[in-house]
Amino acid sequence: MRYLLMLSMLLLSLILPGTVFSFWSWDGIKPDLIMLFTIYMALHHRPLYGAFWGLGAGILEDFYLGRHFGMYSLTLTGVALLSSWLAQRWNRENFPLITLLVFLVTFAGQVFVAFLSLGVGVQWTINDALRLITGVALYNAILVPVSYPWIHHSFGKGWLKYRPKYER
Amino acid sequence: MGKRRVSATGITVLVFFLILGVLVSIRLTGVGNHFPNPVGGALQRVLSPVEGVVLQVGNGIRNNTRAIWNFRTVEAENQALKQKVEQLTGDNIELKEQVLAGMRFNALDQGFFNSPTLSKYTKAGASIINRNPTAWYQTITLNRGSQDGVAVNNPIIAQYGLVGKVVAVTPSTSEVLLLTDGEGQVSALIRGSTGTATFGIVRGTFKRTSRLDADGNLQMLFRREDNVNIGDLVLTSGFGGVYPKDVPIGKVEQIQLEPSGLLKTAYIKPLEDLESLEEVYIVKKAEGQ
Repeated sequence: MRYLLMLSMLLLSLILPGTVFSFWSWDGIKPDLIMLFTIYMALHHRPLYGAFWGLGAGILEDFYLGRHFGMYSLTLTGVALLSSWLAQRWNRENFPLITLLVFLVTFAGQVFVAFLSLGVGVQWTINDALRLITGVALYNAILVPVSYPWIHHSFGKGWLKYRPKYER
Repeated sequence: MGKRRVSATGITVLVFFLILGVLVSIRLTGVGNHFPNPVGGALQRVLSPVEGVVLQVGNGIRNNTRAIWNFRTVEAENQALKQKVEQLTGDNIELKEQVLAGMRFNALDQGFFNSPTLSKYTKAGASIINRNPTAWYQTITLNRGSQDGVAVNNPIIAQYGLVGKVVAVTPSTSEVLLLTDGEGQVSALIRGSTGTATFGIVRGTFKRTSRLDADGNLQMLFRREDNVNIGDLVLTSGFGGVYPKDVPIGKVEQIQLEPSGLLKTAYIKPLEDLESLEEVYIVKKAEGQ
């Protein structure tokens, strides 16, 4: 059930930005749900597992988008590692702190995507790129208060909690 | 025999080459690449029905509640329309020009799908199932793919004119780069009031001014002496091999002289409202046609 739920959330994170969030976009800015979900996964698992999750989610997104193969694999792996590193220093129960963490990590992840995109010839002005990066990071951070408490509770006591075989 | 140990240098070299490989892959698989993507195709096949339903429901809700959410916009629009009506009623010359323009567009609209350039291609209707999965490109996803005969570079048109071109295809879906995205360009011509054609390249301004402006716009450069006027219609020229000839693109809204004084820029408003499109036509055009 746990893995089915995680897979469903991953697939929803893929399709929602292009559908539901195209109605809730601010001047073209929409959240990066896969990045948000990767951060949540990294916060609730060991760094290596988080990195593998980031890599897997990134590969899936690369295939889904069908262009710039490797861009999201590399970015989300980095995002997961950065989230794990911060999670070892910051308290996961402190929701405002997690909101800040999501903002910072998303910002870093989007800067990396922008860096790679500019590297492959996508033409953006620095101003627009900064606006987009900050916007996506803010949007992801705003989603934390409505999603993190539920996800955190689920990882601790709910369906997303890891149960060893002898407990099942 | 002891266990073979992996040194830190070995790991660094491995990571370096992995990252290098990924960077090369990112570079080679840009927009419009022809690399096979069976996993992406399978994913799209599974997810596109869900996306289609979600987008359709969302469109329905948005259309039915537009007046509530955009009350101020609707009110302002109403005011503007009233002013427009008064202006048109009072200004007979303006009215004549509008009527003539209307007749021209009607003629185009009626003859559009039977035009000599478009009639030789098969056209297939498609619904939009996704808009801009990421904000980095202005794209839409259609519910028709290679199984339906869609190929990369197929032009996409709608009721009034050009929308963009296909840049990626999976068996069941295709991704379309919109006209307003600065990554694409269209070889075009402007037919002035005297009927003479002036050629040029239409580019999206989505990247030039603000890529985040969903409305986007198009622009075209001309020499100062070229006879281009506000209200002129911009059509595809047929050069370049991607778009058929004489497909309407937009209407010149504004003309600005460049600081050098040698060139002028025409700002073109697309005939199609790309933000509210729900269905489009794919012009199935084999390479080189």
